[in-house]
Amino acid sequence: MEIEFPYGLPGFEQEHKFHITERVGLEPIVFLQSAISPELCFTALPVKAIDPDYQLELSPEEAALLNGTSGISADLLSLAIVAAAEEGPVTVNLLAPVVVNLSRRVGVQAVRSDTRYSHCHPLGEASPCS
Amino acid sequence: MLVIRRRLGEAVVIGDDIEVEILDASASHVKLGIRAPKTIPVVRKEIHVVSTQNRASVNEVPPQDLKRLLTAIRRKSSSTTSALR
Repeated sequence: MEIEFPYGLPGFEQEHKFHITERVGLEPIVFLQSAISPELCFTALPVKAIDPDYQLELSPEEAALLNGTSGISADLLSLAIVAAAEEGPVTVNLLAPVVVNLSRRVGVQAVRSDTRYSHCHPLGEASPCS
Repeated sequence: MLVIRRRLGEAVVIGDDIEVEILDASASHVKLGIRAPKTIPVVRKEIHVVSTQNRASVNEVPPQDLKRLLTAIRRKSSSTTSALR
């Protein structure tokens, strides 16, 4: 499934198209691969699989981009990008979920301005990174 | 960290080329005006944090870490269904 990212992602502002794919046996892990730079690929997890009570917050611009003019859409998938450093736990970015409207095929990385969630939330035990 | 108190309308200068002015202030918000060369990016801190984190996340997650990830997730719920449906 190809998704348009009009703003790219922070750090990758020119990457405007990503394929979202899965691999058999690895569900619910999702892979975000750039359609423009195929060597660029992120591993991600649905936020709901990490924190079922996660409260998504969107700025008015993000909501408008995702939902268009038709108001709130129920078809939003929020994904947390996974980071695996050489040492330490595998972490996920809950501060800035990648939010995708699956029916409109648009996405944005919605960066929160509060500190409620961490950009390196550990999966399993161990302390978060700095 | 250098801490400087400024009133509305006052400014600080960083190096020779960067100026930050307090344009407006309320109990909950401060509006900053920033003059800097175009070669110096100025972004909200959380954008910078996420930008750095994204660049660190591009490395492929090794298979053993994918397995650990799935174990941690599946402990939380018994769901192994597709996220895309």
